[in-house]
Amino acid sequence: MTVKQLIDKVFLTEILKGMALTFKMMLSKPVTIQYPDEKRKIYPGFRGKHAFVRDAKTGRQKCIMCMKCVNICPSQCISLKKGRDENNKPFLERYDIEALRCIYCGYCVEVCPVCALVLTEDFGYCSYTKDAIFFDKDKMLKNWDEFVAKLSGDVYWNKFWRPDGVDIAKMPKSKREQAPVPIRPTAAVPSDTVPEKKPVNPAEKPPEPAAEVEEKPEEKKEVV
Amino acid sequence: MLKKKELSINMGPQHPATHGVLRLVLELDGETVVKCTPHVGYLHRGTEKLGENRTYPMALPLTDRLDYVSSMSNNIGYCVAVERLLGIEAPARAKYIRTIMAELTRIANHIVWIATHALDIGAMTVFLYSMRDREWILDLYEMVCGARLTVTYPRIGGVRCDIDQEFMDSCYKFIEDFPKRIEEYETLIDQNRIWLQRTVGVGIISAADAINWGLTGPTLRGSGVAYDVRKAAPYDAYDQIDFEVPVGKNCDVYDRYRCRMDEFRQSISIIKQCLDKLPDGLVLASEAPPYDMPIGKPRVMPGHPMGEILPGELVEEKVPFDELYSATEVPKGELGFYFVNDGTARPYRMRIRAPSFVHASVLPKLCEGSLVADVIANIGTIDIVLGECDR
Repeated sequence: MTVKQLIDKVFLTEILKGMALTFKMMLSKPVTIQYPDEKRKIYPGFRGKHAFVRDAKTGRQKCIMCMKCVNICPSQCISLKKGRDENNKPFLERYDIEALRCIYCGYCVEVCPVCALVLTEDFGYCSYTKDAIFFDKDKMLKNWDEFVAKLSGDVYWNKFWRPDGVDIAKMPKSKREQAPVPIRPTAAVPSDTVPEKKPVNPAEKPPEPAAEVEEKPEEKKEVV
Repeated sequence: MLKKKELSINMGPQHPATHGVLRLVLELDGETVVKCTPHVGYLHRGTEKLGENRTYPMALPLTDRLDYVSSMSNNIGYCVAVERLLGIEAPARAKYIRTIMAELTRIANHIVWIATHALDIGAMTVFLYSMRDREWILDLYEMVCGARLTVTYPRIGGVRCDIDQEFMDSCYKFIEDFPKRIEEYETLIDQNRIWLQRTVGVGIISAADAINWGLTGPTLRGSGVAYDVRKAAPYDAYDQIDFEVPVGKNCDVYDRYRCRMDEFRQSISIIKQCLDKLPDGLVLASEAPPYDMPIGKPRVMPGHPMGEILPGELVEEKVPFDELYSATEVPKGELGFYFVNDGTARPYRMRIRAPSFVHASVLPKLCEGSLVADVIANIGTIDIVLGECDR
């Protein structure tokens, strides 16, 4: 045993060093975020609550019922029903996301050819009932309104719509030409004034798809 | 004459020091453990079977949930395996990004390990400091992919999206700052006499035994065997990076602790080299399968494991008719994926060789003959996560 080791052993050097460190830490600034009062910074692309992008022109969602998100979802929490109106034109009759089953992988956002879906930056949406976390198409649009109301700036862009560094040549045309979505209702029609078309009312025309993909995706099984 | 009888007690499944839901049935003679029987399976979710019902891209998010403190490494291991199966080569930039991510994950995992291991043994302060530092890595994850724990960031044939300047700056700052944090942990426990008494000479497993029990990762390297998949069968960018594989020599809990502390420094060096050398270009290979990968028709008769091959006209050349074992070095050891493929985009059989499962099986060897208090040190030193162990 060297002299140094003996001194260390007798005078508890390593314990005193540890004590000095903890004492120093006691005087430093705390790193804890007091959550409900303070909130931490959220980075773009955060995968949170689901929403439908409200199209500025039509005031409705942009879904073209290609079934890609339904087929890709690893937890199979998306269900979509395509309806036909009296003119035999397809329209989105039902679109449901069971958010309790969702694993927030963000595949649906990435495969959507018209960038209609988004996982927003809202994350605190727990509830006492399951119904409140079962998102149908109206709730998804409501989620969008709630989300954009909190944003600053005039446009919104989700990084998973057209990820950086991925060759865009293989993407559908609508995805390649997707511009940041305007979120301030300057010229947009409020949703209440545009009546949502229902199959029970044959007098009204169905909504046109907002954008058309290049190659029409083949129709696959419909999940209800 | 009084008859001597062992006392049988349950340790776990609801025990905070078992790192999850591990149940150990201990037979005690006084304070000495005579027999130790690990019981696993409380967290079984059928990941392998779920993977057989999904296409390769769709099964990727399942691998996040295996080892939930190092999810990025699991993703990378899965992607590397599927890329080898499909014969895809990821672009250079994606390989470097993945290497950065894998090493960040190694740091995050070892931070959780040192936190819980020290907490179990009785040093609580390390837990507080290390959780503070892990937060930074989780923020780095969120910058690139929008999720903090279940990341799903790598993708078959590359990564999902490119990293930006904000990430690079923050990452550089992290690797400059983190050596100071390691010193803080070491100040607290490295020479601490209580720590030394609890770890030195405890849980000894010789190099030959460690190999025979199938140990990998730092648990094996603590016994002096310099086996690392990153060196033995390089994947991603590890063949272009200089790094050392730290090994111990006394085969005990303390040496395994030293190994992991040295791996912190090696990981920082790897991240620094990768950030310096990061090439330009795309991050996804052009032949990478899309998310909605067509399933195709099977080439073996259903019900016959690798049995009769169907006639040629049904064969689709999307996925090779093949079996493959692919190993990557995750922070806990060697994570292997074994696929038997029947020619469709879904594996006929997916087997995950989880390091935690193998390491849990060595617990009887480590614990028998030691004291009850050393069981805790032994559970901590093999670094198991039960999500991966039970799959």
